[in-house]
Amino acid sequence: MSPRAQLLIIDDDPDFVDGLKGILEPAGYAVDAAYNPKDGFDALKAKAYDLLLLDILMGRGAEGIMLARKMRRDPQLNQMPVLIITGLREQIAFLFPGQPVHPHLLPVDELMEKPVEPALLLERVGALLQAAQKREVESR
Amino acid sequence: MAVQPSKILIIDDEEVVLDSCAEILEGEGVTIATASDGTLGLQRLADFHPDLVFVDLKMPGISGMEVIERIRTLDPTIVTIVITGYATLNSAVEAMQKGAYDFVPKPFTPEEFRLVTHRGLERRRLALETAALRRERDMLRENFAGIVSHELKAPLAAVQQNLMLLSAELSGVLTDGQKARLDRMRVRMDDLLKITQAWLRAFATNFEKIKESFKPTAIPVAVAKAVESVQPYAQRKDIEIATTVREPLSPVHGDEGLLVEALVNIVGNAVKYSFAGSRVEVAAEEQDGRIMIAVRDTGVGIPPDELPHIFGDFYRGRGGRAEEGGSGLGLALTRRIVEAHDGVITAESTPGQGSRFVIALPALEASAGIPSPSDERVLQKSP
Repeated sequence: MSPRAQLLIIDDDPDFVDGLKGILEPAGYAVDAAYNPKDGFDALKAKAYDLLLLDILMGRGAEGIMLARKMRRDPQLNQMPVLIITGLREQIAFLFPGQPVHPHLLPVDELMEKPVEPALLLERVGALLQAAQKREVESR
Repeated sequence: MAVQPSKILIIDDEEVVLDSCAEILEGEGVTIATASDGTLGLQRLADFHPDLVFVDLKMPGISGMEVIERIRTLDPTIVTIVITGYATLNSAVEAMQKGAYDFVPKPFTPEEFRLVTHRGLERRRLALETAALRRERDMLRENFAGIVSHELKAPLAAVQQNLMLLSAELSGVLTDGQKARLDRMRVRMDDLLKITQAWLRAFATNFEKIKESFKPTAIPVAVAKAVESVQPYAQRKDIEIATTVREPLSPVHGDEGLLVEALVNIVGNAVKYSFAGSRVEVAAEEQDGRIMIAVRDTGVGIPPDELPHIFGDFYRGRGGRAEEGGSGLGLALTRRIVEAHDGVITAESTPGQGSRFVIALPALEASAGIPSPSDERVLQKSP
């Protein structure tokens, strides 16, 4: 796995983004951030990222979900691994009653609850990037 | 907002009844529609949207009784009143059992008819008000959950995330004292996150949903975890927690995390309301297919007038010392958790002598055992 993997964080809380960056950058990742779904989507279209870290509750509601659904429909983005980092699981269950607590938003996604243990975050990010790389090699 | 006139639909096959009813209600500020049989009446329902419907029980075609039932399923807030002859008083009673609000026997005086109408409309007003309040309550609950989770939890999570980062970044630099202080900050922040979590759990969590992930759970493990979690607090207060588990104990169909949460609340409360140097007893045993977990303390106890309310939202014991904080949701949440496990929680108490809380949960048959997490076969056995 390339140590300079390009990551994008989309989260409307700059302090939380700083907290994540502080874990990911020393581990060798190049990290960009967008603070709302619109800028986030523009960033995704403008540059090729290896992984997206996505917040769910932004703006007026679950705008992160809308963004994830948009990504799924986009042939350029629908294979990108997405790590969802959200306030809490109950909230997901609550917003989408009757659906699985872990909504399968994209073919490759993973959900973590805020705040995240630094070691656990690095482990999940590493695993998602590795899985994505493996898929890419296999599809060639 | 302009008040719309109330709408009354009268369904009767006798034209003279329709006419006289309409005449009686003239000048009452109501809008009236009539129908000469049940089928026509039900048709009018859709476009007229009545507040109140008078239904004659004896009509050709579909019966008045059926009309009442159909209205009830369509919109239970629509008030129906039966028009009946003296001879069919028994059917009026039957109609009221089926959902009619009242009846008016034929022949009736204009005063009688007006009185019944007013009562019916008042009933309709209350029914609509109740429905609106219920909707409002649900919305409040939802909004509240959203506010707690996002507005309160998001900043806490951001702070905690940065504290975690700081701990890691400064691990080689800080003195032991500074490290301890940073750790305390993280612990306090954790407590705060847990309280917001408890609020959200109490108000927004759908425990029916959580049931889907239930599996055979060992009670001794849950008890041990709960006691371990309360232990540091008990030690600070110089209170001994004595645990007795009478094996063998069947597992229960449930969620270990939730059961631990419920037990932590009960054992924590026992410690909270106990005197220094006393003892809290936790006992688990199986009795007639039920797992009984009893927690007894010799603390301040609960006054009899408070006992019926302790499992409600926001109850805070008066006996507790002021500095012993809490969300006031612990017991309410515990009750909800226990009920989600098809269990019952009861409390008995004598002021000045202490309290005893008992959680009773249905036991899984012993053969179910504790499976590995992937053991689907055993999971299906559970009720």
